[in-house]
Amino acid sequence: MSSRRHWTLIGVLLAPAVVLPLWVPLYDHEDPTFLGFPFFYWFQFLLILVAVAVTVPAFWLSRQADRLDRVRHGLTPDAGDPTRTDGR
Amino acid sequence: MLDHVNGVVLGVFVFLFLLVTVLGFAAARWRRAESLDNLDEWGLGGRGFGTFIAWFLIGGDIYTAYTFIAVPATLYAGSVVGFFAVPYTIVVYPLIFLFLPRLWSVSHRHGYVTPADFVQGRYDSRVLALAVALTGILATMPYIALQLVGMQVVLQVMGIGGGSDSWYVNDVPLFLAFAVLAAYTYSSGLRAPALIAFVKDALIYLVILVAVFYIPHQLGGWGHVFSSVSDSFDTFNSENADAIAAGEAVPKGTMPVGPAQWAYASLALGSALALFMYPHSITGVLSTRNRSVIRRNAALLPAYSFLLGLLALLGFVAIAAGVKVENPQQSVPQLFEDQFSPWFAGVAFAAIVIGALVPAAIMSIAAANLWTRNVYKAFINRHATHAQEATQSKVVSLLVKFGALVFVLALSKDFAINLQLLGGVWILQTLPAIVIGLYTRWLHRWAVLAGWAAGMAWGTWLAYGVASPVQKHFGGPLVFFPGTETKVYIALLALALNLVVAAVLTVVLRAAKVDEGVDQTSPQDYHADHGDPGVEEELTPESAVHA
Repeated sequence: MSSRRHWTLIGVLLAPAVVLPLWVPLYDHEDPTFLGFPFFYWFQFLLILVAVAVTVPAFWLSRQADRLDRVRHGLTPDAGDPTRTDGR
Repeated sequence: MLDHVNGVVLGVFVFLFLLVTVLGFAAARWRRAESLDNLDEWGLGGRGFGTFIAWFLIGGDIYTAYTFIAVPATLYAGSVVGFFAVPYTIVVYPLIFLFLPRLWSVSHRHGYVTPADFVQGRYDSRVLALAVALTGILATMPYIALQLVGMQVVLQVMGIGGGSDSWYVNDVPLFLAFAVLAAYTYSSGLRAPALIAFVKDALIYLVILVAVFYIPHQLGGWGHVFSSVSDSFDTFNSENADAIAAGEAVPKGTMPVGPAQWAYASLALGSALALFMYPHSITGVLSTRNRSVIRRNAALLPAYSFLLGLLALLGFVAIAAGVKVENPQQSVPQLFEDQFSPWFAGVAFAAIVIGALVPAAIMSIAAANLWTRNVYKAFINRHATHAQEATQSKVVSLLVKFGALVFVLALSKDFAINLQLLGGVWILQTLPAIVIGLYTRWLHRWAVLAGWAAGMAWGTWLAYGVASPVQKHFGGPLVFFPGTETKVYIALLALALNLVVAAVLTVVLRAAKVDEGVDQTSPQDYHADHGDPGVEEELTPESAVHA
């Protein structure tokens, strides 16, 4: 199996962390407020948490994708471990 | 000059400053120091930093003292566009996640220490590598200068430095802090900022958490802070309605409206793309142990963004607390002095100043590495001995810091800030050579160079033409997008031109079969990791770039 599907999935996962912060009209509002913060501010703080939440699964996927890429380029699946060739 | 200095504030401040000074020198003994004297470890700290240390080091790199002073200052001044720092530090991490492991791998396979080393190996062009290296040094100098500006502001609020007629009385404290920084960077290399970054972050987190919970609580809660800021801005806008209509004053607001949204988004994107072209960021990333450390940090570093956002809002808190300062940059230090007990104000001031020392040290080391590898070794003395290169790097790290000091002392602060802005425009022009080069060799080396030159020239020209109420040139980061009434970040426009020139010329040069040089890297190099054959455990600034 190619790593392309993994990287596509990683791209889909990470996309909100790039697109949403740049999409200013989406959050350029006063209401609803939260703990006194206008929406504009607390939404951007929320986006930080969203970015972390999508990066964690992307990290696990990237480890699998890296293994597939390594095999494709003639390396062992795991660095520094020439005995392991089972791709896991 | 010491009339209005609070002894407790000063005492706590000096104590903490001395503490990190001792740490800075002791860092030479931390983690395998025996080879420091021949520079093996000086420039990249042995490249063995794991997730934990890298988090502090890269965090110290990105979230500088200047961020802590300037971002709240823009909010205090009523320009909410400054809050773009938050989306900027969100957008940057997916980019790091995707691009930088590839740079890590190829650098460790080939012994590259600087981004220009990679460009040299990939494109087989010393001239292109020189362009990337000089751009890096040029963009880094004003960045260091701004760290010193951040320190200076804090010292002024403390009452030491500033307020006197003689320049040497004004500047002696800054000069002292600078000398200490220069001395331990010289002796300990990258280990010094890495170790001090622990103290810096511990102090900054402590101060910020106290500041964002305690001060708004004293003032009646965040809701009250926001409503009093709105009232203050509304009053300003109605009182200055005529001037605003005439274009002589800028209306204040708590949210970017209309076209300002494009400015907000383009500043966030442009800054995020530029950040990891800066040599000091790349130095931080290359000093990590393996690829996973970088990706893990992409998930962990946003914790700092949270902190940065809260800090930025202290600019509003200062308004609500009735802080009145002429220079908006003094708003947050003044807020600390007004609201905290003297000993904690001392802690807060020390946190900001130490927060300036860490990135200033990393930046000067990165600039010195660029000089030694890509200018000195490539052009001036191709057969330099290890000892000669070691001396070069160390001396240049001093020169770069001294240059930054001259910036701060001799030129107006607005000028320093604007050079920083130009730095962002300039450094982004190295993106095609570095980031696109990580994925494909399609771009022709001379096309990349021409694109770089076009982007540099046009970006500088655009920035030169921006006037502000206080100055005729280099007045701001934004210009109208050609043919529209919408302002966007200059760096992105220049990058667009850069990419178009590079792509068009690539087609032409390829059709004309102009020699494109020999690529030293192979596809496998971009996936190699710690433990693979040929992956160097440690990359040393003075070793040769091998094929």
